[in-house]
Amino acid sequence: MPGRSALKAEARAALAIARKELRIAVRYPLNAVNEVLQPLYQFLLPSLLLGATFLVGGRAIGLEASAGTSDLAGFLFLGMIVGGLVGTAFWEIAFSFKREMDAGTLEPAWLTPTSPETLVIGRAISGLVISGAASLVLLGIGLFVFGASFSPGIWLALPALLLAAASMIGIGYLVASMVLLLREPSFFVDATNFLFAIVSGVMFPVVVLPVAVRWVAYLLPTTYALDLLRVHALGTRPLLSPALEWILLVLLALGTLLLGRWVFGRTEHRMRVKGTLGQH
Amino acid sequence: MSGHPMEPVGRTGRRASGPTRGPAIEAVGLVKEFERGRRTIWQRIRGEADQRERFRAVDGVDLRVERGEIFGMLGPNGAGKTTTMRMLATLLEPTAGSARVLGIDVVAEPREVRRRMGAVLSDGRSVYWKLTARENLEYFAALYHVPAAESRARVTRALETVRLTDRADDYVERFSTGMRQRLVLARALLPDPEILLLDEPTVGLDPQSARDLRERVVELRGEGRTVLLTTHYMEEADQLCDRIAIVDHGRVVALDTPTGLKRTIAATEVVRLELSGGEPESAVLDRLARGGSIAHSARENGALNVTIHCRSARDFVPAAFDAARATGATINHVEVVPVTLEDVFLSLTGRALRE
Amino acid sequence: MSNPRSGRLGSAAADLRAFGAAGMKEWRLLRRYPSLMFGFLFWPIVLPVAYVLQARGYAGDSTAALDAFAARTGTSQVAGFLFLGWAAYMWISMILWGPGTALRTEQVRGSLEALFMTPVSRLVILFGPLVSQVAWAVWMFAIVGTVLVVFFGVAIAPLEALRALGVIVVAVPALYGLGALFAAVVLRFGEVHALVQGVRGVFTVFCGMSFPIVLLPGWAHAVALALPPTYLIGDLRSVLLGSSALVGVLPDLAILLGLGAAISVLAVIAFLRTERYARRGGSLASY
Ligand SMILES: Nc1ncnc2c1ncn2[C@@H]1O[C@H](COP(=O)(O)OP(=O)(O)OP(=O)(O)O)[C@@H](O)[C@H]1O
Ligand SMILES: [Mg+2]
Repeated sequence: MPGRSALKAEARAALAIARKELRIAVRYPLNAVNEVLQPLYQFLLPSLLLGATFLVGGRAIGLEASAGTSDLAGFLFLGMIVGGLVGTAFWEIAFSFKREMDAGTLEPAWLTPTSPETLVIGRAISGLVISGAASLVLLGIGLFVFGASFSPGIWLALPALLLAAASMIGIGYLVASMVLLLREPSFFVDATNFLFAIVSGVMFPVVVLPVAVRWVAYLLPTTYALDLLRVHALGTRPLLSPALEWILLVLLALGTLLLGRWVFGRTEHRMRVKGTLGQH
Repeated sequence: MSGHPMEPVGRTGRRASGPTRGPAIEAVGLVKEFERGRRTIWQRIRGEADQRERFRAVDGVDLRVERGEIFGMLGPNGAGKTTTMRMLATLLEPTAGSARVLGIDVVAEPREVRRRMGAVLSDGRSVYWKLTARENLEYFAALYHVPAAESRARVTRALETVRLTDRADDYVERFSTGMRQRLVLARALLPDPEILLLDEPTVGLDPQSARDLRERVVELRGEGRTVLLTTHYMEEADQLCDRIAIVDHGRVVALDTPTGLKRTIAATEVVRLELSGGEPESAVLDRLARGGSIAHSARENGALNVTIHCRSARDFVPAAFDAARATGATINHVEVVPVTLEDVFLSLTGRALRE
Repeated sequence: MSNPRSGRLGSAAADLRAFGAAGMKEWRLLRRYPSLMFGFLFWPIVLPVAYVLQARGYAGDSTAALDAFAARTGTSQVAGFLFLGWAAYMWISMILWGPGTALRTEQVRGSLEALFMTPVSRLVILFGPLVSQVAWAVWMFAIVGTVLVVFFGVAIAPLEALRALGVIVVAVPALYGLGALFAAVVLRFGEVHALVQGVRGVFTVFCGMSFPIVLLPGWAHAVALALPPTYLIGDLRSVLLGSSALVGVLPDLAILLGLGAAISVLAVIAFLRTERYARRGGSLASY
């Protein structure tokens, strides 16, 4: 039965982890710049230019037909923000366990009374702060450089982003478990991160996916968060009814968090039996 | 292997922290089984029989570490020292047996144990290079649940203890290995632990830094803390430890004070001889055995190397020359050394500590 | 041994063997880390497919949009267009990552110094890691071709495949020169990750992996024409999708070869300078 002071101690530990991650991030300034630039050149510009190849008389009439908006830049920038959220769960929350293991700093953390779950939460805080900041910068670039235009209703979708963030912490637990179990997790993380992002509709409207894959999209919280974001900001056609999407989003957030915590707990126990905790 | 008398420690004048209820660490029949080899995904998919061999890295260890002592585990590579430590540190679940730290069960209440224990284990000998020493410690203080109001003072004190105060605000990437090792020790001191586990604390350090670290460990005992350490260096174990458990193949083969251990060899000095010629070999050895007990003998490049335990080399060496002459052998080389823990290990296991 | 001629020949043979050893080492590394192998199967398919799906979203059900694409790119084969672009992208990534990280790892591990002290020619050190990558390039283009033919109904005649091979071979000096140049720079300044990202980013934006470069504004178009990958991608598309003969892209290929020679010379100079810098006591990029 954790008392109040114990909870407070865990919260302080989580904040200390987040502060440490942010400190280290700031000390690699090149990486911080990359955080903003990379999505631009790796995803946005190629996507935008491919989109430009399909323009008819300067209008994205094809996108209008499939998604319900002709705001190519707006569509992609919102996708990029959700993509950033996905990346945070896979890389900043989950894969950082591998980095710490390689650096030999995971075991000392495991030797403290801080709960292993708090190690995940702390990283989630710093990861979300970083991806949130990068998203704001990117949105600014989208608005002022690429001429995206969002309706003020975009704020109504903010809770959807928060719910998706909570869900992604749950996914973070799951992926972190894989990172701890696999000897070489980088390909796994890279591949699943990419699939998760594109199936959520980061690059294109979910309706263009083959039917079987579309069912997977319906299981991902980010699909709904992104859909609601685009509905409110750009007036796109919703995938399902928005009310249903909100409900599913809440259920998925709860579900992934519970499942993720459970799996992570099991993984930790398994590692304690096999003797691979903190070792590599 | 238990059954060795666990005599109370003889040192006096030490302040014991808290009421002396029971031992600091108590392990009973501790066992850890591992699997050797991997079961590939292919083997799993095809449902092939599990071919992994199970073996016991720790095979029934009984330990009782009293409060306020420095207790050492000495043993060759793979003896199971680290595995034992990791079980006591709650990082590893025992297959069988039980262990209590300050009376708290390590399996049932791991977090309570971690709250009271500092540990430096072999794999976690690292800190964040892009943070300063102080930032590193402040971070870990929060993880150790040190109250915010106390954190600063605790960090400062830990830095003082390991003599790093003047480098506290430097990035760790500029630290030498020895300084980093001391910082890691400081981290283990953050919870103000009654018990410290140190797995090979001086490995990789130059003699000066190693001596320095040993001094720190002795100071920690002076503060009433209990230290359990492992080492490969018998000199270190000899100098530092109040009591030593010699571990081999996952078992404790002897447990006593360093002096007590050395007393198990009925000798005070060890003589190493290199002989050539003289036969039959048994005749040479027979003659030599009259003056002491032969611990070891082996032929190498035609020369016969013999290790003899004796009460006094002053008496034995002239007798050995007589023995050699009588059997037609020549002594090429004589070496006399005092008995060390190495010899104890050799006589217990028939193998050298360091191969 | 006393004959300088045979000595030089002997050392050339030794260098050749060293080349082989370097390639072998890389190959072993790949086998040791199966995840790398998965990567070589996964990315050449999944990355282009993502863009093909994106193109589907951009086309909607509008034939006008598809016509616009065909008019701008000169082909209506969207999948073929995208697969070829991204195949080139991945080949280049491989070339940038491979030798740069290989040398850098040796440097961090401290084995680079040892390598420098062996009598092996510097060229072996610089280009050795690239050898094993030829196999992977072949493998990747084979996968891309198979997927195109089997899943996207792109007809590739044997003659066209041969022409494509010709383009690829002509591109080798330029791309491997880039890889070597990159490795030399990495050695001097460290930060492989950021550098690869940056360089790859430049290529993605300028060389037309996912779009025809005619879309670029004037200045960017000029930049594109100075980068070898632009020609590789453009010519692969011409010979495979536009059934243009090799003669048709001959001027391009000549430029590609010229760029290749220039970049390779630059790479060797950069590498020798880096080495000299290290020998004069300046440490290379500190870890
Ligand atoms: N997680 C693990 N899985 C399988 N085997 C292990 C694991 N950890 C340790 N072992 C094995 O258990 C045995 C005991 O190892 P341990 O590390 O405890 O020895 P040690 O006494 O600390 O040796 P050293 O002096 O080399 O540090 C060794 O054979 C080792 O290979
Ligand atoms: Mg050990």
